[in-house]
Amino acid sequence: MSVWAWIRLTACLWLLRKAIKVFTWLLVAVAVLAAWPLTLVTLGGYLAAWSRGWPPARLGRAAAWALSATGIWLLVSAVPLRSWHASALGPGREWEHGWPHLTALTAARTFVLFAPVTIPAGLALAALAWAWRNYSITTGLGGITASAPITFDSRQWRRQVRTAQGLTDAPGAVPLLARGGKMPVGGTIRAIGHRWHPVFTLPASACARHMVIVGSTGSGKTNLMIRLWAGWFTATSGRARAGRGNRPLLVVLDCKGGRDARRKADRTRRLLYGAGARRVAVWPDEARLSLWDLPAQDLAVLLYQMIDTGTGNAAYYADILQAVLILAVTAPGGPPANASAFLDRLDARWLQHAWSDGRHPAQLARAQAAAKHLPDIQLRFATLLDRLGPALDGPGQLTDADAWYFILEGTREPSVAQAQAMALTELAAHAATSTCGAPRDMLLAADDYSAVSGRVPLSNLYERGRSLGIGVQVSAQSWQGLGATEDERYRIAATADGGIFVLRTPYPEPLTQLAGTRRVLETAHKLIGNSWRNEGTTRQQRASTADPDLIRRLDVGQACYIHRGAATFVQVARPKASPLTLLPPPALTEPVPRIPDPRHEPAPEAWPTSRDLDDIFGSGATQ
Amino acid sequence: MRHSPFATLGLPERPDLDDETVRAAWLQIAAATHPDRPDGGDLTRYTQASAAYGELRTPWGRSEAYADLVEAARRQGRFDDHPGRDPGTEPSTEPLPTVPGAAPPPAPPSQPLLNLAWLPSRIARGRPGRLLIRAAIAAGLSLVVLALVPGQPAALADVGGLVVWFVLTGRKDLAPPPER
Repeated sequence: MSVWAWIRLTACLWLLRKAIKVFTWLLVAVAVLAAWPLTLVTLGGYLAAWSRGWPPARLGRAAAWALSATGIWLLVSAVPLRSWHASALGPGREWEHGWPHLTALTAARTFVLFAPVTIPAGLALAALAWAWRNYSITTGLGGITASAPITFDSRQWRRQVRTAQGLTDAPGAVPLLARGGKMPVGGTIRAIGHRWHPVFTLPASACARHMVIVGSTGSGKTNLMIRLWAGWFTATSGRARAGRGNRPLLVVLDCKGGRDARRKADRTRRLLYGAGARRVAVWPDEARLSLWDLPAQDLAVLLYQMIDTGTGNAAYYADILQAVLILAVTAPGGPPANASAFLDRLDARWLQHAWSDGRHPAQLARAQAAAKHLPDIQLRFATLLDRLGPALDGPGQLTDADAWYFILEGTREPSVAQAQAMALTELAAHAATSTCGAPRDMLLAADDYSAVSGRVPLSNLYERGRSLGIGVQVSAQSWQGLGATEDERYRIAATADGGIFVLRTPYPEPLTQLAGTRRVLETAHKLIGNSWRNEGTTRQQRASTADPDLIRRLDVGQACYIHRGAATFVQVARPKASPLTLLPPPALTEPVPRIPDPRHEPAPEAWPTSRDLDDIFGSGATQ
Repeated sequence: MRHSPFATLGLPERPDLDDETVRAAWLQIAAATHPDRPDGGDLTRYTQASAAYGELRTPWGRSEAYADLVEAARRQGRFDDHPGRDPGTEPSTEPLPTVPGAAPPPAPPSQPLLNLAWLPSRIARGRPGRLLIRAAIAAGLSLVVLALVPGQPAALADVGGLVVWFVLTGRKDLAPPPER
C-alpha cells in the first residue's frame, strides 16, 4: 500500500467514525425533540434531583406515585372503548395530528394529554440518568477535572443538608411517632448501606436494646436524646393503650447536674407531658425516692458498696463493715424504714437485742464481736447519709411516675453523685424485676455517665440492663468518656445493638470502624504535562462506610447513625409535641375577678366647730 | 366531689403550665379577695385560692393535681371528657391520658373517622399558608388541564395525579396528630 492510499484510508476511517458519531447524536436529538414532553419531564426531574441533592431513589419513588395517574387514565379511557389497545393508541394519534399545527396552545394540550404517561416515564428516566451521573462522577469516569468527585460530593452534601433541614422545619414531617410505631429522628441527609427514606426513623425496639450516643458539647446531643426519649415513650404508651404492651417507665440519669440539667429536665418534662405522660418527676428538686424499699439483702450490699473500703489491711475492716450491715439490715422485724432507723440499728445494744430471740445464736455472737467497731461504722454512715441528703430517704417509688429525671451533681460533688448513681441504678433494677404491680417497659438513659462511673463502670450498667431486660441508652462527650479502658469502651460500643449515634466529635475513628468498610472504585487519571488526559486506571478500594472526616465536620444537630455495618447521616429535628395533645382551656364558669381599683380612704369628717361642741357639752365648755 | 385547684385559680386543667402563669392567677384572685380590702374581701375564696396555689406552685404539684383529676374523672366514668369539665356541655376533642394501673381504654371505634375529625385542627396548627399555596397550585393546574383537554380521559388522570401530589406533599404541612 502506497503512502497516499494509507492516508486516504485513514482519513476515510476517521470521517466514517465521525459520521457515525454525528449520526448517532442526530438520532438522539431527533428522538429527544420528537418526544419533547418526555424530555421536559426528564430534564425537570434531573434538575430537581441535582439542585436538591436527592438520591435517585427519590425520583424512582416519585415515578411510582405518578403511576397512579397512568392507572386512572388507562381505567377511564379503557372503560368506554372497552379496549386497552385502542385507549393506549389515542394520545399517539393526538400527538401525530398535533405536529403540523404546533403552537403554544397545542403544545400545552399535547403535554397535558401525554402527562399521565410522560411524567412517570420521565421521572424514571431522570432517576436512571441521575444514578448514572452519580456513578460516573464518584468512580472518576465523569467530570471535566480530576477533582470533580470531590467538588461534586461537597456540593451535593450541602444540598442534601439544605433539603433535610427544610424537611425538619415542616411541622408534620418529623413527629414524635410515625406509623408502625417508629420513632422519626430527622431528615435523612445521606444513607450509606441503609435504605434511603426522606425521614429517618428507628423502631421503638432500638431504644429497648442498647444504644450509644457520642458527641461533643454543643453538637446537639441533648436534642437527639430528648427526641429519642419522647419517641420511645410515645410508642410504648401507645402500645400499652392498645393493650399490646406494658406501660413505659423512663429513667434518666443526668450525671453532670448544674443549672443546665434543670433546664433540660424542664424541657423533657414539657415534651413528655405533650407525649401523654402524666407524672414526670424531677429528682431531687421536686420528688423523693426511698432507698429503704429495696429488699434487705440488696440493701445491705448497696450500703456496703456506697462506702469507700480499702484493700490490704483495710480489707479486715471491710469484712466487719459488711457483716455489721447484714446484721443491721436483715434483723428480724424487717429492714429499716428510713435513714434514722438504720442509724439507730448501728448500735451494739440494738443489734444484740434484735438477735437475742434465741433462734439466731450465730448472729448474736457476731453482733457481740463487732460491738467495738459499731460507733465508727455508725459515724461513717451518718456522714454518708447526711451527704446524700433527704432525697433518697423517701417517701416515693420509681413506679409512682411515668418518667423520672434524676439530676446528679457529678461535676460539683463526684463522690456523692457516684453513691447516688449506684443507689438509683439499684432502685431501677429492683423496679425492673419487681413482681409487685403491673410490669413496666423501662428505658434507662444515662447522660454523661462517665461523670459518676467511678464505682459502677458503664459496662457494668450495660450488662446489668441487658440481664434485666431493660433498654440502656448511654451518652458520652467522646470515645474516651465511654469507659476507663480501651477494652471497656470497645465492649460498650460493640454491644450497642440498638445502634450508635455519632455527632460531631474530634475522634470518631473507633466508632466509625464499627460501621466497617465498603467497596468503591477509584480511578487514577494520567497526568501528561500539566493536564489530565483520558488515560488512567480504575481499581477496587475499600473506604469507610461512615467517613470519620465527615463526622468531624458535622454541624450542630447532624448525626451519623451506625447500625449493622451501614451508616445514615441525619439532620436531627428539634422534638416538639403535637400542639393538639394539650387540652384546650375550658370555658370558665365564673368571670375572672377584676383587679380592684386603688383603695380610696373616705375623707375624714370635719372637725366640729365650737358651736357644735356647745350643743354636746353645753355652753362655755370649749372656752 | 373535690374541687379542682385549677378551676379555683381559673386556669386550664393541664400539667404543663409554668410557674409564672400560676402565680399571676393567684395574685389576681388574692388582690380581689384579700380580707384587708376595704370591702372586707372574700375570705373563703381567698383561702381556697391560697390552698390551690400551694398545691399548684411547683411543676410536680401540678402534675400530681392533674393526675388526681384524671383519676377522679375516670372513677366517675367520664371517659369521654377531660377532668373538671362537666360531661355533655361540650363535645370532647382531646384524648384522656392513661391512669397508672388502670386497664387500657378500648381502641377508638374508627381511626380514619377520628383522623378526619382532627383535620381542621391539624391544618390550623400546621402551616396553613403553605398548604393554601399548594392547594391553589393544584387547583389552578387542574383548571388549566380541564380547560385544555375537556372531557378527555387524560384530564381526569392529570387531576388525579395533582390530587395525589397535593396529598403527598401537603402532609408535612399539617400538625402531627395528638400524642405523636
